[in-house]
Amino acid sequence: MKKTLTALTLGAATAALAVPALAEYPTRPIQMIVPFGAGGATDISARALATALNNVVPQPMVVSNRTGAGGATGSVAVRDADGDGYTLLFARVGSHTVNPAMNPNLPYTIDEFRFVGVYEINPVACVVNSNSDFNTIEDLIERVTNDPGSVIFSSAGVGSMPHIGTMMVLDAFGVEDIADAVIHIPTEGDGAALTAVLQGTSDIFCGSASPAVPFVEAGQMRPLLVTSSERLDAMDAPTVAEAGVPELRALVGWTGIAGPADLSDEAAEKWGEWLAEGVQDPEFQRILTSGGSVIELMSPEDSVQFVNDAYETFRAVVVALDLEID
Amino acid sequence: MTFLEALAAGFALVAQWESIFFLSLGVLVGVFAGAIPGMSATMAVALTLPFTFALTPISGILLLLGVYKGGIFGGSIPAILIKTPGTPASSATAMDGYPLAEQGRAGEALSMSLYSSCIADFISNMALILFAAWLASFALNFGPPEMFTLIVFSLTIIAGVSGDSLIKGIVAATLGLILATVGLDFIGGTERLTFGTVELRGGINLVPMLIGLFAIPEIIAYIRNPAAREQRVRALGHAALKWVDFRRSLKSIFRGSAIGVFMGAIPGIGAAPSAFLSYSEARRNSPNRDNFGKGELEGVAAAEAGNNGVAGATLIPLLALGIPGDIITAIIIGAFMIHDLTPGPLLFQNNAQIVYALFLGLMASSVILLVVGSIAIRVFRYIADIPPDLLFPAVMVLCIFGVYAINNSIFDVALMLVMGVVGYIMLIFRFPAAPFLIAFILGPMLENSFRQALLMSRGSPEIFVRGPITILFWCLTILSVVMIIRATLRAARLKREAARSASRLEAQSKT
Repeated sequence: MKKTLTALTLGAATAALAVPALAEYPTRPIQMIVPFGAGGATDISARALATALNNVVPQPMVVSNRTGAGGATGSVAVRDADGDGYTLLFARVGSHTVNPAMNPNLPYTIDEFRFVGVYEINPVACVVNSNSDFNTIEDLIERVTNDPGSVIFSSAGVGSMPHIGTMMVLDAFGVEDIADAVIHIPTEGDGAALTAVLQGTSDIFCGSASPAVPFVEAGQMRPLLVTSSERLDAMDAPTVAEAGVPELRALVGWTGIAGPADLSDEAAEKWGEWLAEGVQDPEFQRILTSGGSVIELMSPEDSVQFVNDAYETFRAVVVALDLEID
Repeated sequence: MTFLEALAAGFALVAQWESIFFLSLGVLVGVFAGAIPGMSATMAVALTLPFTFALTPISGILLLLGVYKGGIFGGSIPAILIKTPGTPASSATAMDGYPLAEQGRAGEALSMSLYSSCIADFISNMALILFAAWLASFALNFGPPEMFTLIVFSLTIIAGVSGDSLIKGIVAATLGLILATVGLDFIGGTERLTFGTVELRGGINLVPMLIGLFAIPEIIAYIRNPAAREQRVRALGHAALKWVDFRRSLKSIFRGSAIGVFMGAIPGIGAAPSAFLSYSEARRNSPNRDNFGKGELEGVAAAEAGNNGVAGATLIPLLALGIPGDIITAIIIGAFMIHDLTPGPLLFQNNAQIVYALFLGLMASSVILLVVGSIAIRVFRYIADIPPDLLFPAVMVLCIFGVYAINNSIFDVALMLVMGVVGYIMLIFRFPAAPFLIAFILGPMLENSFRQALLMSRGSPEIFVRGPITILFWCLTILSVVMIIRATLRAARLKREAARSASRLEAQSKT
């Protein structure tokens, strides 16, 4: 009896020791960190993807929210994690393009992450109240140029996508001295920024198209411009190419998965495969497209390129317009 | 589709075991989640959202609404039993609920909280159904200047919750306002009082601070002097609420519900200020004024009516305009969109049956809350019988666990403990915690709306009197301040007279 027990214990111990060495990644659950609040756009996207990936990834994924400081808290947690592929981040345009471009004091840089796949693109739309005098984006530009300081725009806060986005649009249309030409009213989020447009507190909002779609469909707001390459189903507004500013196509939101910079090649490669299969899930596609997003999966290499390009574009605007936060 | 057809279709959607099941499940989950310190109603709704992806639209939305309503009530359970508000909105409930539990009247306090919650919830739902369009147009007129004047008026609540000394209340409120400025400056984006730490960039988190301020001082007090606790009678938590007590609180319940409906219809305020406003109005108008803060059932009733009154009304901006009033409704908007429903005016045109199903479900939720709540009370009130040397360590563990779970952050736990020490020092020197908390919650709204308004007007202060709403709130503010000054002077005079007559009596007895 005692012998059997010893043998069993030994056998179990050997097995326990042997498994990690032999088995492939992943051998235990993977922690996926969402650096924004539960129930928000990133969270919905992340949880929909995690659900779809449950059928693909051999180990469970634990999605947890670590919010704070515009995504910095969660991002830093992943940057400081081991590169073994068991701690990954749902990175987004706010945490990994806009903030790094605008805020030199940010406790991380985008080089400290290794991207394994950008899977979601959110076009930006400029919307005004339907009672507004602005019928086209040109009307708006004309007013800003002729009467500087008369137009107010709302954003989801300093250093948010709508903040820099509006500036980029005005810059692309050749408005000069943007800081004095328009007045910026930061609010608590996209919802509050759109409420400001609805109330007449603000004249225009240029941000992620998704939250603006219901207002446009209900006739409460009018879209003036979208940054997608083709017109959106839900918003019949000129694209940036039609408006003669094709460079604004770089102004889009995105969501992707990243690990710390020393993430293993094995993990990156696996994630590339898993994501290719996961994004095909019909339920995932339904949830994302109903929120107004475009599913566009990039390979790990393309993702890194895309994120770096987006950063460079935004950074150039920030430097040119002196938008840096000190 | 005519109104009756839509109503009938809506009824068909709700009157299925599935809808009622998910609504009840939601209320149940909400009550228990709300009862866990650190797990706020907002978090419970957010965590439930992924489960609604696979449900039919109406089941999913009813599930979320159930969690929301259950959570707001559930928060009052630990507020009463262990002085740990389960959600920020139930802090006002702790002010009278916990003293009642100390006196062995936890059962009465919990029942009062439940009845008051259900009545306020029902009134709020009716307001949503009957006056949605009217209240929504009011909400649309509520820009930054109006918000600023409302918050200035709300700050007069401080006088109502300061207890014995108005001066100490104002000092505590000032401290709260200062702490509210920590983090990234909202308009300029610069760091304020962060001392270079990443954790403080996002500001001080409300929930750890709340729990630190209310629950931890009680634990420290017990550690320092356990004997004081042993002598008190606590194990009498089973007395039923008396009809006379309920009857005399009805006025405060209705007033609190009305305040809740009003505050809920305006985007961006939330349930906590509403609960405090309702509490302070009840105290001002009650004949039992002096008993508030020492264990007054009417105080519990007012606070709970104030925060549950928000629950239905907060759907007004969502359904009528498509705008989220708070984080919870923002999450519910997400649920609408996932099911291809457009929140806002279009919903009444395209999916009228969903709207009416929602209305009917909301009405049912008040009744379900009553049933689920009574069961929960029966389960939870045994907590009042647990001996303190078991209860306090358990509360401590629960607080640390709950606070850690919000953000998986040890920093938040440290914050809670530091705030606990601050709260204990305030307790010793008899500085009230409620004004501190109110100022901390209202501080950012005050500052942001002030600066947004000035940005709108390009620096001209005239914007603060731009319309009837702003002028109304200025008048109300002046009125309250005058009444506070009069009440304070009268109290001082009475005190002086009492002292004088006492000394006269003393002199007489000597001669």
